[in-house]
Amino acid sequence: MKKKKTIRKWVQLVLFLLIAAISVNHTLVESGKGVTFFSTASLHAVCPFGGVVTIYHLLGLGTFVKKIHPSSVVLMIVVFSSAILLGPLFCGWICPFGTFQEWIGKIGKKLFKKKYNRFIPYKYDRYLRFLRYVVLAWVLYMTAVTGKLIFQDYDPYFTLFQFWTGEIAISGFITLGLVILLSLFVERPFCKYACPYGAVLGIFNLFRIIPLRRNETICINCKACDRVCPMNLPVSTSRIVRDHQCISCYECTDTDGVCPVENTLAFQSSRYKEAVK
Amino acid sequence: MRIRSTTAGLVLPVFFILGILIASALGFWETESSKIPKTIEEGDFAGLADPADIRGSYTLADVSKAFDIPVETLAKAFGFSDAEDPAAVKVKDFEEVYGVTGDLEIGTDSMRLFTALYKGLPIETDSTTAIPQPAWNILKKEGASDTETLDKYSDRIVSLEDFKDATVSSDQQTDTEDERVIKGKTLFSELLDWGVTKEQISGVLGVPMGPSGMSVRDYCSEKEIEFSAVKDALQELVDKAE
Ligand code: SF4
Ligand code: SF4
Repeated sequence: MKKKKTIRKWVQLVLFLLIAAISVNHTLVESGKGVTFFSTASLHAVCPFGGVVTIYHLLGLGTFVKKIHPSSVVLMIVVFSSAILLGPLFCGWICPFGTFQEWIGKIGKKLFKKKYNRFIPYKYDRYLRFLRYVVLAWVLYMTAVTGKLIFQDYDPYFTLFQFWTGEIAISGFITLGLVILLSLFVERPFCKYACPYGAVLGIFNLFRIIPLRRNETICINCKACDRVCPMNLPVSTSRIVRDHQCISCYECTDTDGVCPVENTLAFQSSRYKEAVK
Repeated sequence: MRIRSTTAGLVLPVFFILGILIASALGFWETESSKIPKTIEEGDFAGLADPADIRGSYTLADVSKAFDIPVETLAKAFGFSDAEDPAAVKVKDFEEVYGVTGDLEIGTDSMRLFTALYKGLPIETDSTTAIPQPAWNILKKEGASDTETLDKYSDRIVSLEDFKDATVSSDQQTDTEDERVIKGKTLFSELLDWGVTKEQISGVLGVPMGPSGMSVRDYCSEKEIEFSAVKDALQELVDKAE
């Protein structure tokens, strides 16, 4: 292993703490304590689901959904513009729930070593990954019908950051427990199979300006990239990775990740020059 | 162009900061949800914003955004077209500027009623809720409610001019008047004179009674209490004390 893979981990840690702080502060402010800078920033304003429902709302499909903040719209525009460039950066770098699952996954890695994250053969798994689009459709449909943030009751992300408030439905605890359990076997199970926001951001992978490109001519086919990919993508056999599941985590790249051959696997807008063999 | 992780790590934070800065500069950064009314829970209109949930703290801009009614229309309806910044006028200002005269009053409820009739949504209001004449004209012309519904409220129309004048003239008659009716200028001391106790007043207000030389309405607006909401309860106490 080599190079600085840690920048992402630091960004994740800082963001996790920040969002945890905002959530706690939100509760404190409601009871009259807390710091005023973030005082009114509620969890919904930094919530991926807020994002999904906001999209819906912006498309003019529905009327006003309770608890959606204009700031969610701002955050959504920010996340989308980054996704046009670099795909689901939000998932790989910011989303505190992704971070949380990765942390739990560390225990899984200790328990199962090489078997970890390899329990379901990819040829079946790749179809299971479309489940999150089913969830997305369901969330949009339910929001349309009820005009509320219906997903909140099942949202493990929301449960994790508000479990102390008593605002949480029992179903939220069940999904959170399930995600924690699955995280011991699979990396980022929620991201892979259920996250509606990840589903939306994943679409940007199909046309992002800066995709992951592999330089076939000098790749030594060691498959290190395949092994490290948290989303189990077959990187070593693609010339360009445009899979909806890539989270731009950089773990596989030659610039910041495991790829041992320089100038072979990187996020770049232009193609590799045909090198001399 | 090759993007390394150091750059990628900066992309979102930088975008976030820029986004938030630009949004705040445009006045769009608002994490508070309270300016969006609740939605109607059941019936034909379920899912639509509920006019009954408009609160005094909403600005005309908030109402405009929530119900898709132009700010100019709202300002015109309530006689605020000449205000320096009509969009920033708060609904609770109505009470302060117009308030109560006789049986009718212009306040937050008037905005609720107007919005509901304008959008053709259901609403329940007190029989004391007034509709200003300009608001009525707008409802007749472009409101979504049919004539039949509107006619039910025809006895609520008040002229804004009269209303202002009426407040002034009733102010002038204070000394001669002995009627035990709570008005905008009624002082706490008067309530006490009329036989209502301090405790009863505090009970209605939900906060300790204000200085006896202060008018109930001024105290209410200071404490962000809706005067129209407590007026009836106080009047009841006065009537009982008689
Ligand atoms: S790690 Fe790099 S060199 Fe190895 S297979 Fe993947 S792209 Fe090729
Ligand atoms: S392909 Fe690379 S960047 Fe994308 S998720 Fe897999 S390891 Fe991360």
